[in-house]
Amino acid sequence: MSEQGNLLAIEGLAVRYGAIEAVRNASLEVREGEIVTLLGANGAGKSSILNAVMGLVPVAEGRVVFEGQDVAGQPPERIVRRGMTLCPEGRHVFSNLTIAENLKIGAASRRDKSEAAATQADMLALFPILDERRDQLAGTLSGGEQQMLAIARAMMSQPKIVLLDEPSLGLAPQIVDTIFELIVRLRDRGATILLVEQNVDLALEIADRGYVLATGDIVLSGPAADLRGSGDVERAYMGSH
Amino acid sequence: MRIPGYLKATAAALLLAGTSMSTAVQADDHEIKIGYAGGFTGYLAPYDQPSLKGVQLAVDQLNAAGGILGMQIELIVKDTRTDTAQSAVAAQELVDEGVVAMIVSCDVDPAVASGVIAQAAEIPAASSCASTPTLPDAVGPYMFSNYTADNLQAAVLASYAREQGYENAYILLSRDTPYTEKLPEYFAEAFQAMGGNLVAVGEYATGQQDFSAEVTKIKGLDPQPDVIQTAAYEPDFPAFIKQLRAAGIDTPVLGSDGIDSPTTFGLGDVAEGVVFSNAGFASPGSPLEAYEVAYEAKYGEPNDTVFTATGYDLMMVIAAAIEAAGSTDGPAIRDAWDNLENVEVATGLITYKDQNRVPVRVVALNMVSGGERVHVGDYSPDPSMIPAP
Amino acid sequence: MEIFVQQFINALALGGTYALLALGLAMVFSVLGLINFAHGELMTITGYAMFFAIAAGIPFPIAVILGIAAATLAAILMERIAFRPVRDANTATMLLTSFAVSTILHMLFQNLISARPKAIPVPDWMIGAINLGGLSIGVIQVMSITATTLLLLALTVFLRRSILGIAMRAASLDFPVTRLMGINANAVIATAFGISGLLAGVAGVLWLAQRGSVDPLMGFLPVLKAFIAVVLGGLGSLPGAVLGGFVLAFIEVSLRAFLPDDWLPFRESITLTLVIILLLVRPEGLLGRKDAVR
Repeated sequence: MSEQGNLLAIEGLAVRYGAIEAVRNASLEVREGEIVTLLGANGAGKSSILNAVMGLVPVAEGRVVFEGQDVAGQPPERIVRRGMTLCPEGRHVFSNLTIAENLKIGAASRRDKSEAAATQADMLALFPILDERRDQLAGTLSGGEQQMLAIARAMMSQPKIVLLDEPSLGLAPQIVDTIFELIVRLRDRGATILLVEQNVDLALEIADRGYVLATGDIVLSGPAADLRGSGDVERAYMGSH
Repeated sequence: MRIPGYLKATAAALLLAGTSMSTAVQADDHEIKIGYAGGFTGYLAPYDQPSLKGVQLAVDQLNAAGGILGMQIELIVKDTRTDTAQSAVAAQELVDEGVVAMIVSCDVDPAVASGVIAQAAEIPAASSCASTPTLPDAVGPYMFSNYTADNLQAAVLASYAREQGYENAYILLSRDTPYTEKLPEYFAEAFQAMGGNLVAVGEYATGQQDFSAEVTKIKGLDPQPDVIQTAAYEPDFPAFIKQLRAAGIDTPVLGSDGIDSPTTFGLGDVAEGVVFSNAGFASPGSPLEAYEVAYEAKYGEPNDTVFTATGYDLMMVIAAAIEAAGSTDGPAIRDAWDNLENVEVATGLITYKDQNRVPVRVVALNMVSGGERVHVGDYSPDPSMIPAP
Repeated sequence: MEIFVQQFINALALGGTYALLALGLAMVFSVLGLINFAHGELMTITGYAMFFAIAAGIPFPIAVILGIAAATLAAILMERIAFRPVRDANTATMLLTSFAVSTILHMLFQNLISARPKAIPVPDWMIGAINLGGLSIGVIQVMSITATTLLLLALTVFLRRSILGIAMRAASLDFPVTRLMGINANAVIATAFGISGLLAGVAGVLWLAQRGSVDPLMGFLPVLKAFIAVVLGGLGSLPGAVLGGFVLAFIEVSLRAFLPDDWLPFRESITLTLVIILLLVRPEGLLGRKDAVR
């Protein structure tokens, strides 16, 4: 049973790739308006959780309750249309499309095209660099710019919740700061965010609450302020909880 | 009562074994087995399927008239799927089932594959419609041809061309099959032997469809040809003649039996005046006309290709050879077959005597006129004018 | 000079047909990673639809439309019945499925219709030629060039302007992420098959107008040419497929037109050798992406 007020509740989720169990028994909740961060070492199963939630990989066990309904096993396009989206690890912008086309396809799930155009104007205002290069192919953008585009594209579907997978991956430190500022701004504008990160300090700085995943299990959770600097996270990473 | 599945299977197997045993016993006394290993699926299906229909019609008529040597004919048909290896397997199966003569595929490669098996078993065999004159010698003394040989057709076309006063010829050939390559070459050889001049040789690939490059070349020839000869057939012939006529070239075109098909008569203006050779013309009162009637009665649709008639012819030749041999012994049938003279078949008369197993038979010339077939004449060329294979 | 212009037009007309076929193959490949070897049978279906329509007394232009519609519908059904159940299987399974579809259709045509070719009478006006100076351009050639140009323009507009079109281009790069945009995977794949069927139908009409008959196996050779064109242009690249079709036609026509007579028997091998050399220089194809080589 999900608690009242949870936008997304993952309950007892397991993900398997053949004989390999990537996620064993993960449960977490995200309430409306929160930034929740999911931390863990490389290979802990963070991306597997996000991909399973979105229907990109099969859910072996457990439930994915979004707005009170179990969406586990639904195809990604249906989940997006319900209002949950994923900004995938490694950005995955469509390098063969222009920036404007990337944004346009981001709004594919929306019926009202004039509202979609308004969102696009909004995003271009938020990311002036994208506006300048709107007719350029996305493949010509730098890594940081591609990350901005990936986030803007995800926002084009006007999601109730965005799953952000490793937005800082492979970016220079100043750019990472810019991206994190943007994430806070998006939350301030009403978005709910589930953030998967390896950069623990930065993630806990902007998050309301956090979970720590180690070898497929949630081993630690709590308000970000409690997790920050307590040393528990570090110990959980090392697997000595 | 419920019968367990395995019991049903056993009962069915016993039943099957029982029937096949009884036919085997019966066959020794009252049946004579003829085998047909043909490509009834795959790329030979357009030739072997019609041949089979003709063969079946002949078997019906022969059986109704009392069979061969007083025995009913049992036709055993094996599909080779137009696969050369499978052609050998099917031939072996036919040998094992005790056929006394074998019909093999319409194309040289599978025909040879089946033929060598029949040869080894000393069972006479013939291809239903392969027209390459070197086929029997490629296999051995038990292999016969049946269909009008390429060099025979080519000789008839060449003498017709010279009769018409054509001096300069262009030939269009494809090296993809012996038929499309050799027939125009035989034509050129005979045409030159009769005093004509070969202007140029064009080449195409079977199925290429686009003849624009070749047509543009013909347009630039000097001297311009008076006649164009080709053994191209569907889909190449229609594509070629359309593009030739579209380019404004109205040179007469001589084709071969490959274009004896409804498509040619549906081509409209472009095919007007095309002359082609084939195995026979169903003129009023001819045996071929009677054949066409019997065909329509059996199959409920008019015959649309001469390959059914030549299949019928071959079955009649086999029957004549066995009757002449007076036995079902392979070597006896072979010798009798090799000495057959003027066997009456649907398309006319067939003679094997002194022909080295490549028969002499009539060649008909036809003209396409107003979407109909018009008989130009029947030809039996002087053997000296036929190019050596 | 005149002969060069004439052969150029010849190559352009042939290239158009190759391009339409190759584009259809590439369209399906780009969303599914499948080379559909049953693509040629869509042309055959166009042929039989036209044959039966004309036999039923339907006027030629309407028979053409029915033929194209039949190929489009058949392509969509092919995806729904044969390919959707194995969509998540590996590429080899899908490839084998396409061979199976092709073989089954051959059998059905041979045994339910006829192993012999069926004539498709083409109106006489389509067989003529337009003479411009010393040039002679066949009506079918004009139709081929016109149809190719119009279809390529329409397809470009569709792929650039519509959401589904943009989604198809996106899917050619990254299908899972395209689904994350809320794009329905079935819709994208069905559309790709539908368009490939439409293109095969139009190419089929042009092909049939030249050959004048339909037979069960007629689709094999064109699909082989289209496959060469797709590989030449770069697997997964739609403009590449079109370019590949034209380049292949230019190589073929030039060799047939200008090769010395003694060399003519080797023209097909020379064509393939040239294609292989081009691929050695550019392994990813003429317009392929380096990262697209899978």
